[in-house]
Amino acid sequence: MSGPLLKVRDLSVAFGPVQAVDGLSYHLHAGETLAIVGESGSGKSVSSMALLGLLPQRSARITQGEAIFEGQNLLRMSEREQRRIRGNRIAMIFQEPMTSLTPVLRIGQQLTEALTEHRGLSQRAARDKALEMLRLVDLSDPPRRMLQFPHELSGGMRQRVMIAMAMALEPDILIADEPTTALDVTVQAEILDLMRDVQARFGTAILLITHDMGVVAEMADRVVVMHRGKKVEEGPVKTIFNNPRADYTASLLAAVPRLGARSAEDGPRPIIAQPAQPGEVVLHAEGMCKQFAGRGSLFGRSSGTVAMKDVGFSVRAGETLALVGESGSGKSTSGRAVLRLLEIDSGRIALEGEDMRALSSRSLRKARRAMQMVFQDPFAALNPRISIGRLIAEPMLIHGIAQGSELDDRVAALLRRVGLEPDHMKRFAHEFSGGQRQRICIARALSVGPKLIVADEPTSALDVSVQAQVLELMLELQQTMGLAYLFISHDMAVVEEMAHRVAVMRQGRIVEMGPRRNVLDAPRHPYTGALLAAVPKPDPAALRQKLPRLNLKEIPMGSLVEVAPNHWVAQ
Amino acid sequence: MLRFIAQRLFAALITIWIATIAVTLLIHLVPGDPVRIMYAGFQTTEAEIEAIRQRLGLDQPVWRQYFMYLGRVLQGDLGHSIVGSQPVLDTLLQRFPATLALTVSALIIAVVVGGTLGFFAAYRRGTVWDFGAMTLAIVGVSMPHFWLGLLLLFLFSMTLGWLPVGGSGWRNLILPALTLGLATGAVIARLTRSAMIDIFDQDFVRTAHAKGLPKTLVLYRHALRSGLVPIVSMLGLQFAYLMGGAIVIENVFAWNGVGRLAIQAVFARDYPLIQGFILFFATVVALVSVIIDVTYALLDPRIRYGT
Amino acid sequence: MSAPAEPLAAEARVAPRRVLWALLRSPSGAVGLAIVLLLIVVALLAPAIAPYDPYRMASGPRLAAPSWDHWMGTDQLGRDVFSRVVYGSRLTLMIGTIAVGISLTAGLLLGLIAGYAGGWPERILMRLVDVVFSFTEIVIALACLAILGVGLINAMIAIGIASIPFYARITHSVVLVEKNKPYFEAAIAAGASHLRLIFLHLLPNVIPTLIVVGTLGVSTAVLAAAGLSFLGLGAQPPQPEWGFMLSSSRDLISRAPWMMIFPGLAIAITVLGFNLLGDGVREVLDPRQRAR
Repeated sequence: MSGPLLKVRDLSVAFGPVQAVDGLSYHLHAGETLAIVGESGSGKSVSSMALLGLLPQRSARITQGEAIFEGQNLLRMSEREQRRIRGNRIAMIFQEPMTSLTPVLRIGQQLTEALTEHRGLSQRAARDKALEMLRLVDLSDPPRRMLQFPHELSGGMRQRVMIAMAMALEPDILIADEPTTALDVTVQAEILDLMRDVQARFGTAILLITHDMGVVAEMADRVVVMHRGKKVEEGPVKTIFNNPRADYTASLLAAVPRLGARSAEDGPRPIIAQPAQPGEVVLHAEGMCKQFAGRGSLFGRSSGTVAMKDVGFSVRAGETLALVGESGSGKSTSGRAVLRLLEIDSGRIALEGEDMRALSSRSLRKARRAMQMVFQDPFAALNPRISIGRLIAEPMLIHGIAQGSELDDRVAALLRRVGLEPDHMKRFAHEFSGGQRQRICIARALSVGPKLIVADEPTSALDVSVQAQVLELMLELQQTMGLAYLFISHDMAVVEEMAHRVAVMRQGRIVEMGPRRNVLDAPRHPYTGALLAAVPKPDPAALRQKLPRLNLKEIPMGSLVEVAPNHWVAQ
Repeated sequence: MLRFIAQRLFAALITIWIATIAVTLLIHLVPGDPVRIMYAGFQTTEAEIEAIRQRLGLDQPVWRQYFMYLGRVLQGDLGHSIVGSQPVLDTLLQRFPATLALTVSALIIAVVVGGTLGFFAAYRRGTVWDFGAMTLAIVGVSMPHFWLGLLLLFLFSMTLGWLPVGGSGWRNLILPALTLGLATGAVIARLTRSAMIDIFDQDFVRTAHAKGLPKTLVLYRHALRSGLVPIVSMLGLQFAYLMGGAIVIENVFAWNGVGRLAIQAVFARDYPLIQGFILFFATVVALVSVIIDVTYALLDPRIRYGT
Repeated sequence: MSAPAEPLAAEARVAPRRVLWALLRSPSGAVGLAIVLLLIVVALLAPAIAPYDPYRMASGPRLAAPSWDHWMGTDQLGRDVFSRVVYGSRLTLMIGTIAVGISLTAGLLLGLIAGYAGGWPERILMRLVDVVFSFTEIVIALACLAILGVGLINAMIAIGIASIPFYARITHSVVLVEKNKPYFEAAIAAGASHLRLIFLHLLPNVIPTLIVVGTLGVSTAVLAAAGLSFLGLGAQPPQPEWGFMLSSSRDLISRAPWMMIFPGLAIAITVLGFNLLGDGVREVLDPRQRAR
């Protein structure tokens, strides 16, 4: 190997007074994959954008440093020279495949334009090359794809197009900025597979920017860990995972939920000495169906999308039922339907034996005391114009639980209960961090003493270290208060940590449901198996296996049959 | 796409239909006796008023009047004006070419001037060019149309003597079209700038840059073509405002279009003519917005190839 | 007029005093605020500022050019143009307040109810609003005047009614966005009643947008009223209304251009002031805009 391909030294980027990247240095060698990991705000994306001169020109400033590529400093090049490198020698793919392609141009044109620009190929030659690339990234019917527009492709297909576009010029370096973060886990696995294939074929060096330790372990040869704009550690992937030197790396790794970590245990980790055990059935739902109307017009409706078909489950006090699935599986719809935040077409929902669908809107409002919700985006879930003290007090006021100074005392107690200070009461949502906001949401949910809490992806907007704390708080509350949780998540590792029982959803149906150990350790439905196999393991020693290709047409999607005690699988 | 056009046409029909209802109600909302108000300037006997009332159908119940009116409208009969007793539709159609010439030339000026100004302001966002263009635009937005018209009239006709003060030739069209075009252009400049800024901040523009395409190619092929969709979609509303603005401008420049007619009708309380004008205006605006909607649908593959 | 389609300031709650400071720091906000304050001061102190009675004919010679005695000259009846412009500010402020008051209140209620109710009421109500909206303000105002008869007060009412659809649409679009935010669902989940949901949760989040739109709306109303008065449908002689003053100047442009220039300038500066103030408030309340 003849020295590094790219040498970044002392790179610093400032956004106004904020130092986003501070003295970052690293080397990238030909053909290797270097992962830059960090939580939000670590400067990992900014540092890579700086290399290609893609930072927003008005707000960002490269204050110092150099990035030497083939003897030239990328950061000090003229716009013209930079352009010759961009897309040609160094290509980039982005996090959001849905918005990263120009909506008004055909895929074909977007694929060929860089070829004609950099290589001076004829239209015909560029077209042939583009077709070859589409085949290479495993898209079916390439000639047809060339004529399609981005909106006709799914997210995973678009990311394949992005990769085809980036690799068409056979660049020396591919910068991949969170390339799979916006994708479902099975699609993520396919894209990661594809990236490895492409890398092996062209010998491209990959600079992978990610927050996901699982992706790092699967992909990287070497790792740079960033925290608040600074590099805290750099090393081979095995060393980073097995013997992290920096405390920050160690704590980051400790916070990452690992699938299989609790496979030997029945329930979630006990946080208190005598955790409450699952008791009476709190929630029972059966036969829930919901079809969203297609875009209505006066010429009739286009047939709607099925959000839920014959969904049923029950949750006991002190127990967590996790609903897992990919986007569009109907898991969130089910959660909202249970709370009657959404009217279902048919089915039965009973809370402590009472038929929720039969309630008048007045008695429904009263019944809401027993069921509360925690949302995915804790910021959006708090009204920005009401102080958090009043927000937490609101449910108690509505239900006439407390008034005056007693109300204040209760709010203070709730804040303390979730690990915040009572004098935070007067502040507003924007003054808190993401994790604190989620604690506030939990405090609000607890204020009326509910039996059931529906938690819809409560930690997926949070960094892993914060996620671990929030999950622990939720476990502790359940074990002391005997709360029933309906826990909605796409993250199998988080589900393993939280759930007593698991229901796997796909296309609006439950395909497998049972005790957590059964479902996660010995799945009986092929889709559950595929979902589990697709989860990247945060362990570089784990074998990188080719994924089993799931034949989507042959997945059983029928009614549930009990294959073992309490373990149901779709036939 | 066909479905989209059908939907837009249907929406236009609904608009026109609601306009017929509004227009029938209009005469009923007049406090007092509309016939007496209309003929206030005429020497009329009680018997004549009663006859007019019967002729206009005003002695019938409202719903009956509505269906009578609708029936006549469907046959292309908008009634007769009080002043001069001309058929309303003929009068409107006779005046309409002048208004059309004015609004279309104004629209062209507005789009060319406003679009260019807005696009370059967005492209040079944050520079003195942007600041200058947007200062110009906000001053333009803040000026009353008719005042701008009077200023231009003062400058070009009175002081420099280049253009005539009033009349109906093409040279007389220059000033009113310029007035209306520049005033609307200021609005379009602001809208274009903010639409283009939204586009420049999109991920796909970053992708295009990351491919190493020349700036101009990114600008025209990726950004401008995407930006045209929201910009064109705003033009329907702008055309409606243009038609509204024409009413005032025609009066400033004594341009004999339907707008001038409308004002005279309001003064004379010539209700059949006012009704006809409103219905006519609503129809033109509705049809033009269908054309504009179809244009932007053609620009946007998500609609063009949608179901 | 361009209008924000998305709600403002959803993520930042800013204290009133901070808004004022931020407003003064943004160039457009500071200039706009200065102009609007100046207008208010002039309107309040009109009798002290105006050197002549705005209605008195032959305060000086007819059609006199601007001079020491008559800063903006005199009109065809020998009235002092400066005094008339000063008194005109009172009418202009009244127009802005009344017209925007009518359209804002009615539009806000309509938009809130339609947006909150959803379903059929929403579809019918908003369809109707859209249709009326496409008639444009000036035609609706003409129709109203055809019903009510000409006059300045009627013109204000007509403009107020004509702009209701605009405010209803904006309110409705903001309500739709806010209604789909989880905090609203959280309030439902807490068991909040309809009134609580509308007035405690939706309304405070709609108001910032409407402050901006209402400020910009004053400009539109002033322009529209001046236009109607110019056409002779609004203010009647001898009211010192700016638009009306312009209409009497039309035939005298070459002989007395000052009769045309100064009232027009007064309208333009007033409208500019409200436009700048509206832009400034929007910048302050919407961090996304400020970043531009």
